[in-house]
Amino acid sequence: MKTMSMMEAIREAMNKRMREDKNVLLFGEDVGAFGGCFGVSAGMFDEFGPERVRDTPISEGVIIGTAVGAAATGLRPIAELMFIDFATVGADQLVNQAAKMRYMFGGKITLPMVVRLPLGAGISAAAQHSQSLEAWMAHIPGLKVVYPSTPADAYGLLLQSIDDENPVIFLEHKVLYGASGEVDENMAPIRFGVGDVKREGSDVTIVATGKMVHEALAAAEKLSEEGIEAEVFDPRTLYPFDKEGLLKSLEKTNKVVIATEENKRGSFAGEISAIIAEDGFDYLDGPVLRVCAMNTPVPFSPVLEQYYIPSADDIVKAVKKMF
Amino acid sequence: MSTIGIIANPASGKDIRRLVSHATVVDNNEKVNIVKRIILAAQGAGVTGVLVMPDTFMIGYKAAEDLKGSKELHIPVEDLDMRIRGSMEDTVTATRLMEERVVRCIIALGGDGTSRAVAKAITCTPLISISTGTNNVYPEMLEGTVVGMAAAAISTKVCDMGETCRRDKRIEIYKDGKMVDIALVDCVISRQTYIGSKAIWNPADIQRVIVSIAHPASIGFSTIVGVKQIVKEEDDFGASINVNTGDNELVAPIAAGTMKEIQVDEPVIHPLEEMFSMTMGYKGIMALDGERELPFKKGDTFQFKITRDGPYRVNIKRTIESAQINGFFNR
Amino acid sequence: MDLTNEKIVEMYKVMKRIREFETNASRLFAEGSIPGFVHLYLGEEAVATGVCSSMNEDDYITSTHRGHGHIIAKGGETKYMMAELFGKETGYCKGKGGSMHIADATKGILGANGIVGAGHNIAVGAGLSAKYRESGQVVACFFGDGSTNQGTFHESINLASIWKLPVVFVCENNLYGISMSQARHQAIQDVADRAVAYNIPGIVVDGNDIFAVYEAATEAVARARSGQGPTLIECKTYRHKGHFEGDPTTYRPSDEVQEWMAKDPLPRAVAYLMDNEIISEEELRKIDAEIVKEIEEAIKFAEDSPVPSLESIVQDIYTDIVEEVR
Repeated sequence: MKTMSMMEAIREAMNKRMREDKNVLLFGEDVGAFGGCFGVSAGMFDEFGPERVRDTPISEGVIIGTAVGAAATGLRPIAELMFIDFATVGADQLVNQAAKMRYMFGGKITLPMVVRLPLGAGISAAAQHSQSLEAWMAHIPGLKVVYPSTPADAYGLLLQSIDDENPVIFLEHKVLYGASGEVDENMAPIRFGVGDVKREGSDVTIVATGKMVHEALAAAEKLSEEGIEAEVFDPRTLYPFDKEGLLKSLEKTNKVVIATEENKRGSFAGEISAIIAEDGFDYLDGPVLRVCAMNTPVPFSPVLEQYYIPSADDIVKAVKKMF
Repeated sequence: MSTIGIIANPASGKDIRRLVSHATVVDNNEKVNIVKRIILAAQGAGVTGVLVMPDTFMIGYKAAEDLKGSKELHIPVEDLDMRIRGSMEDTVTATRLMEERVVRCIIALGGDGTSRAVAKAITCTPLISISTGTNNVYPEMLEGTVVGMAAAAISTKVCDMGETCRRDKRIEIYKDGKMVDIALVDCVISRQTYIGSKAIWNPADIQRVIVSIAHPASIGFSTIVGVKQIVKEEDDFGASINVNTGDNELVAPIAAGTMKEIQVDEPVIHPLEEMFSMTMGYKGIMALDGERELPFKKGDTFQFKITRDGPYRVNIKRTIESAQINGFFNR
Repeated sequence: MDLTNEKIVEMYKVMKRIREFETNASRLFAEGSIPGFVHLYLGEEAVATGVCSSMNEDDYITSTHRGHGHIIAKGGETKYMMAELFGKETGYCKGKGGSMHIADATKGILGANGIVGAGHNIAVGAGLSAKYRESGQVVACFFGDGSTNQGTFHESINLASIWKLPVVFVCENNLYGISMSQARHQAIQDVADRAVAYNIPGIVVDGNDIFAVYEAATEAVARARSGQGPTLIECKTYRHKGHFEGDPTTYRPSDEVQEWMAKDPLPRAVAYLMDNEIISEEELRKIDAEIVKEIEEAIKFAEDSPVPSLESIVQDIYTDIVEEVR
């Protein structure tokens, strides 16, 4: 066990696989000697050199497309975009190429590639550098979508992402980069589609992703003071999604609040609530409630941004509506 | 009326030499700019009208429209009324039409091939050939403004034509007593069997080079002669040399940036008007001024003759000097 | 250039195979046997053939919506192609891709592509892979003039240039981006001019002359293989048919069409074979008959093949997850 920040955990997972497999390489904007916009790849250029840790021009389309072409021809590329917002620039390569190629070609090609996408609000980066667009990604057949909330999960899930034979979208909440936790460097990769109960409880299930897992845990502590024991369920991967794990929790608690940082409209939180409505209705004692960001672009001013981002208090408020 | 003609080849400056000999790509918008500078200088120096060859990129038209837009154009610029084929034929046709319209000077932008096409039709109209490529022997690297002034001096007859124009030589190629083609500078007998990408750059395929002029301070296959025997514009002879045979080992700049070691025989001098003949021992192609053009079969016999029936070429510097002496620049 | 008579005949066969495949595809589409969209390569045969003939079997290509010619030239089998056009289970993509998505990774064919300009980026990725693995492989990236106004064209050539990737960018300039003539869709006539901006060689060749294309491609492939980086080859060509089958092509002047039909690459290749006595007329007839038979058999194979099972709809999305059927 070693204490690591989320950023270190992501870096160490990449380092581990790159040491083991020469066909794994990393490229993106400023990932080389500069160490990445947020410093995720710091030191990797020195260890692996310019052939394996490659700076690309600011050309998101060709960054993702290069990953597609390289993955189709024997490499296991990791592509980093600086912000998930920039995936819109390279969307064709992600949505129409990476996601579709295997199917369109009748299963005769494999694309073992990872696209790492930092996302989320909280650093006053405004509307083009702060979005949570995971619902877009999870909507596309052909992509797998991974969203860790702790260093250990990030480490284990990234190992699995690199090992996976399919295009994997690996989401990294910027505000969580500094969050620290214990990581077993010898851990086995974490299988996709297996959620994790981050806190056990019997009265209500809070389903949360990414940074909202931490808000949910804080909310659970506050609720506990008032005698409500919340279970915090982190699905960890949006596709594949651990429906069984969620329903198991729901069977116990009979109440559910879903907390994500997305704009509420058309959110993945909506997808989770639909899953519950279709397959977990009989477990429910009350309505499914969603705690999401407001349906606005992400504002710049810290005052507005904090108002925009759902908080532990928002979750507490939602939970208390059911009691 | 002092009218000049401008022929700009939209296809020049883009062939395979960019790939095999580091030649420069010349984009067509730059040709439009050169034509604009020619027109403005010619207009400013007394030319009253310009005829341009229409082409697939509409170089002349675009130049004129731009100058109208900037309100700099005050003389008529007219597109010749001709069908555009997008081939060398366009240049031949345009030259003929310009002579029919009695232009007093023709300016050709392109490579050796463009000048050769002009030479197929031109009779006694003075010619200025501007190189828009890297691999050229016949056309010169010239600034459009200077060309425009020279064309104006010629067309307004301010300079002494006898001094400023010189008739060039050419190589005439005959088969069965009929002239089938010409070259201005060199005719290369090659073992290649297809025209393909036209340019010729591999000396291993070459059997013989026939030249009207040859100088080592040049590039192309004529330099194979030139590095051994200089043949000047004013010399009343041409020459030929057999390649890949003989006792001489030479190095020659056969293309831009390409020095090749070549084995050759002694060059043979061919006085003007002397007909000499060659029977082909294999199937191949003749490259004329650097471009594969004329296929032949084994057993075909061709006659060659160097003559002084090439274009009247304008000596830019002398023309403008002569004009200056005659008060061309006085207002 | 070492181009043997055998190789010339092989190249003719490839062109003829494309011609025959496409002529039949046109007919079968009109008859209703082929669903969806079909974009035919008729008239552009010399480009794919000249380029792919200069490459090795394990080299890669990326293709376009007009991809049948590239796939045949790179060794794709016509019966699996035809079955795919018919939407049959035996098709290259098990009926999941259709005309615009045929691929065969075993032959280095990284797929036709329904998105104009998408192949450029994938080609660069394959080029990076080849260079990184030191495999000696080269990538040919086919695309039309229309795609050169997409950002991908610029991004990918830029990246290939700065990384010196073994990619040959082959522009099939057929003078139209769908219905919009090149003169209207860009302010240049020669896409090759754009090579200057990326510091790579850019050349223009007669795309209807198999020898011109072959010669340029051979030089560019050698350059790529020896680590000198990418080249942009612009092949001037023309599609005999519309953008897609059913396109009325009212935007093309008839004298332009006639002019280009006169430059048809197939008769030019035949004339070369005959003039140079490479094969006899009888041998030519035999070659043609064999190709006609091959395509007839491909059609028969497609017709006789089963349609895909409904269960197959959820397969082949991922290597490991099979979605639920409704």
